[in-house]
Amino acid sequence: MSAPNCLRCLLQLRPSVALPRHLLVARSTAAIAIAWTAPFSTTTANNAKTGGGGSKDKTGGHIRAGKKIKLGKFKKNTTADRGKAPAPGERKAFRKKILLSNNNALPVPGLVDLTPEHMLDPQNAATVLSIPDAVVDQLRAVEAFKPTQCWGVFRKPSMLLRTETIDLMNRMKGAAKQKQTLRLVVTGDRITGKSMLLLQAMTHAFLNDWIVVNIPEGQELTTASTEYAAIPGSDPVRYMQQTYVLKLIQAIRKANEKVLSKLSTVQSHPELPQHIPVGSPLMQLANSAKEADNAWMIFQALWQELTARGRPPMLFALDGLSHIMKVSDYRSPAFELIHAHDLALVRLFVESLGGAGAFPNGGAVLAATSRGNSPRAPSMELALQQREAEQAKAADVPQPDPFFRGYDERVQAALRTVQVLKLSGISKLEARVLMEYWAASGILRTTVDESAVSEKWTLGGNGVVGEMERAALLTMRL
Amino acid sequence: MASTANSLRLGLRGSSSQIARLQTGTRPSPPAAVAVALAAALRRRCLSTMPPRWAADGKDAEAPGELELEFSRNYANPGEFLADYLRKDTITRAERQQAARMLEQWKEAPAELQGQYEQLARNVYTQAAPLKRPVQPRKNSFWNAEEKDTDLITDEVGEDDFEEDDILSMGHGKLEEHREAREYSRVTVWEMPLLSKFAKPFVPPTGDEVLRFRYTTYMGEFHPADRKVVVEFCPKDLRSLTDAQQLKLKKLAGPRYNPEKDIIKMSCEIHEHQAQNKRHLGDMIDRMIATAKDPTDMFEDIPLDTRHHTFTVKPKFPKEWRMTEERRKELEAIRQEAFRLDEARRTGGGLVDGVVRIQEALAAPQAAAAELQPVMARRGGARPGKQNARPQPRR
Repeated sequence: MSAPNCLRCLLQLRPSVALPRHLLVARSTAAIAIAWTAPFSTTTANNAKTGGGGSKDKTGGHIRAGKKIKLGKFKKNTTADRGKAPAPGERKAFRKKILLSNNNALPVPGLVDLTPEHMLDPQNAATVLSIPDAVVDQLRAVEAFKPTQCWGVFRKPSMLLRTETIDLMNRMKGAAKQKQTLRLVVTGDRITGKSMLLLQAMTHAFLNDWIVVNIPEGQELTTASTEYAAIPGSDPVRYMQQTYVLKLIQAIRKANEKVLSKLSTVQSHPELPQHIPVGSPLMQLANSAKEADNAWMIFQALWQELTARGRPPMLFALDGLSHIMKVSDYRSPAFELIHAHDLALVRLFVESLGGAGAFPNGGAVLAATSRGNSPRAPSMELALQQREAEQAKAADVPQPDPFFRGYDERVQAALRTVQVLKLSGISKLEARVLMEYWAASGILRTTVDESAVSEKWTLGGNGVVGEMERAALLTMRL
Repeated sequence: MASTANSLRLGLRGSSSQIARLQTGTRPSPPAAVAVALAAALRRRCLSTMPPRWAADGKDAEAPGELELEFSRNYANPGEFLADYLRKDTITRAERQQAARMLEQWKEAPAELQGQYEQLARNVYTQAAPLKRPVQPRKNSFWNAEEKDTDLITDEVGEDDFEEDDILSMGHGKLEEHREAREYSRVTVWEMPLLSKFAKPFVPPTGDEVLRFRYTTYMGEFHPADRKVVVEFCPKDLRSLTDAQQLKLKKLAGPRYNPEKDIIKMSCEIHEHQAQNKRHLGDMIDRMIATAKDPTDMFEDIPLDTRHHTFTVKPKFPKEWRMTEERRKELEAIRQEAFRLDEARRTGGGLVDGVVRIQEALAAPQAAAAELQPVMARRGGARPGKQNARPQPRR
């Protein structure tokens, strides 16, 4: 190793660089002090931007750097230009994007729009019908469509009316007629069409001018991803989720505009910051929710108005039930986990589902379980199994495991009187109709005969719709 | 650098006082005195690895009958030593008298005995001389490796050498195998038939014999597990118990109850003998039955705990899925019907074909496009004469 300092510089006690005076002055005094105080050093001088040893640039002409090993000098510069990174939220938006039509798909001849009567007639079981455009907008507003559903490969959003669909619609209709509330949980295996059945129920509600309130994902309320605050004066303490509620009010307003615009308030709401006199249109009340701060108050007022006597029937729906049937991820001020049923909005749904808050104008409270994304909720599972066994009048109703601790009494209580609709695979006739629709859209490139239907139906685990889609549509064997 | 052997060799020579202390009697007999003198003759050096023990100033030194022996030269016989000893003026009177008496005895001894003693002393000296010679390590030696260890306890050299007078150990092993086989053959032929006298016909257990014991034997060999006794019984077989009592018995059995087989299985090996362990188990079952019959607490608030047991579900091929001749016919009928339906649709035009559908769709818009092809026309009609007047692009 060569000496870091030039001998000449060491001999005379002066800054190692023979600099012109004006440069010396310009240089920071600290650097000079270092040069003065430590002329001897065992480390190689590390000059800023110096090319190498002995270079006579302005920083240090006489400072010789040691022999340096330059690693990877033959490597190419690997920092390739990757283009513009996606903006914040762009990736999520792409992931959650919902495409409802595809102009490359062929229009299906003879496809008719749904009418309110279509969904009630048992003759229409195993038919594919398209959703009217107005209803599509409403469904989109309440986020009834899911990104996992295959809307984006067809020309127009259409759906298969299953036997279960017709059955459920008739039950909803019957309940509304008798001013009763249908409280029902849709359950079943993965991708058997539970969310789709909820969507069909919402379609039915929109077609019949019901009021629809939809919580698209129960998960959004309990995974501590939205703001929350304790409701002042509540005992026991309940928590409101203002931002979410604001979004919900806006969704309700947008989706139910047709119905709400005809209605006006029947109660005075003195607690609201904005004065809304009795008889003012409901849209005005809904529109008054502009910011999250008073969203919960306005939501309560809106809820009171919507559940007042003489209103149209209401559908309250929620997907992903197991997320709200557990202890949430939120924390109380004492840093204890908050039970999901202590969140005010969740509580509203659970009470409606449990029968505590019945709708005076009739309607339905529907919940769908999710199998792809569902935390363990043993109480919910057990309750649903028990209800199912009770409905089927089975001899042995499943009993709770006496030595298992994970049961939740509140969940048991909430699901004590619900009805359960268990979805499984579709019949072969329904499968045939569905596959004919696929083929007519130009997506399924086979002749839809009995053998093809039978093949896909079997591949799809005895007609599980999602699995059939996977087997027929989502493979790249076009 | 002295080796261990060398130090041992040096340690053999005890100090004179130690040798003297070997004499315990007040009046040493002549042979003992002679031995002392011989030891003095053997003495060559005062070097010892043992710590020197200094004679105490007090009574020990004054003790009568104890000769203070200091050897400064080699003596050919005990007489020489005693004469030399008597010449000393440091010895006490008693010692002097004793020494004088011993010298008298020596002189009275026959000449040939004296000669033998002298010869013995000479022999000992000559034979011990090479041993006593100090071993000088050689100059070029490495760790004194060439030193011969003379103090080996056994002479192992050649112990394992095969002397060509025996068969190999493998042969011995083979012979042993033959012997064993023949022994068992003898047992088979002569002793086993006698066992048939003890044979009993199998009698299935009656309804009263509900306990099933299992014992372990290692054919007479001692084994820590041969004392173990296992008992199994089904609570349902205990007919004296009601259903509630049977349930309580199952709860009492805890993890020893197998809910799948409905069997309680217990074992005992705490006692030394099999019979004791069996007795213990019998007593335990008696107590359990007595407790189960006790109506004070029927454990109704405690559910039967089966957490210890893993229920294994063995999937079985369903009977309905079996391919019977009937089922074959049924399937054939279904297929025929499906084929008939498809044919009807094919002729009637109700069959949807994805490929055909795409082809139709691809053909249709082209036809439509051909019809609706916009015709580009100049305003004011075409003027062919002007076309040539357009300036050509320069090359």
